[in-house]
Amino acid sequence: MKWMPTCRETTELASRAMDARLPFADRMALRLHLAICKNCAQFNLQLQEMRRLFRVETGDSDDAAALAPDARQRIATELQKRLAP
Amino acid sequence: MTQLDAQTWLAEHGDYLFRVARRQLHADELAEDAVQETLLAALTARDRYTGNASPRTWLTGILKHKIVDLIRRQVREVELPRDQDGEEAVDLLFKQDGHWAEPLRPWGNPHAEAELSQLRRVLDECADRLKPVMAQVFSLREVAGMETEEICKELDITPTNCWVLLHRARLFMRQCLELNGFNRAGAV
Repeated sequence: MKWMPTCRETTELASRAMDARLPFADRMALRLHLAICKNCAQFNLQLQEMRRLFRVETGDSDDAAALAPDARQRIATELQKRLAP
Repeated sequence: MTQLDAQTWLAEHGDYLFRVARRQLHADELAEDAVQETLLAALTARDRYTGNASPRTWLTGILKHKIVDLIRRQVREVELPRDQDGEEAVDLLFKQDGHWAEPLRPWGNPHAEAELSQLRRVLDECADRLKPVMAQVFSLREVAGMETEEICKELDITPTNCWVLLHRARLFMRQCLELNGFNRAGAV
């Protein structure tokens, strides 16, 4: 990577930094770019915001989704079959 | 007694398991399959249930393995194209010189209770719009919180593939959320 990554390359680094510790040179390049680029700084913030929203959102919330009656019936029948061969 | 157990699990935890599965598989039929396989596996393994964890926790543990199995099967079926999976769409987000094509605006803070259900809907819709494999890798990482190494190993894809999928999924999710109103301060 050149001394200063482009925005596109920076989004790759920022994404990867969400999952693993970057090598030193990449970490510096990312920091340097984020310091001078508003768009990429915004992108980086939003990556973290997305993570927060998705995690918050996964608890057993009042999410209304439920097994459809026919699916429930099918599963009950399968269980029954397994129990009484 | 066991018969009662299995049907009780379905009655008491079926919807919960379905929601957990649906959030990661993004398809109702797949989520139903996951619930069924989980309960059948639980039935087979019921002797190993010690009662240390609540039934729901125990069942959820089994479900996670089933979800990964289902995703793995799907990934095999799809055969990841290395370069073409969304690369052109990514090109549209940037200019030739690598700068953003459009400026990014700050998001509001969509956190009021009243907004949560709408937020959920938007997140689901956006995840549905990703290519299936991308949505699944993204969900395993961001929703299930699995480490990328674990995801690569489980799905038998290369780390490079995994990074690329996550990068693209994040670019698209961000854009989709923004198009659905995240850019208006305070609104979802």
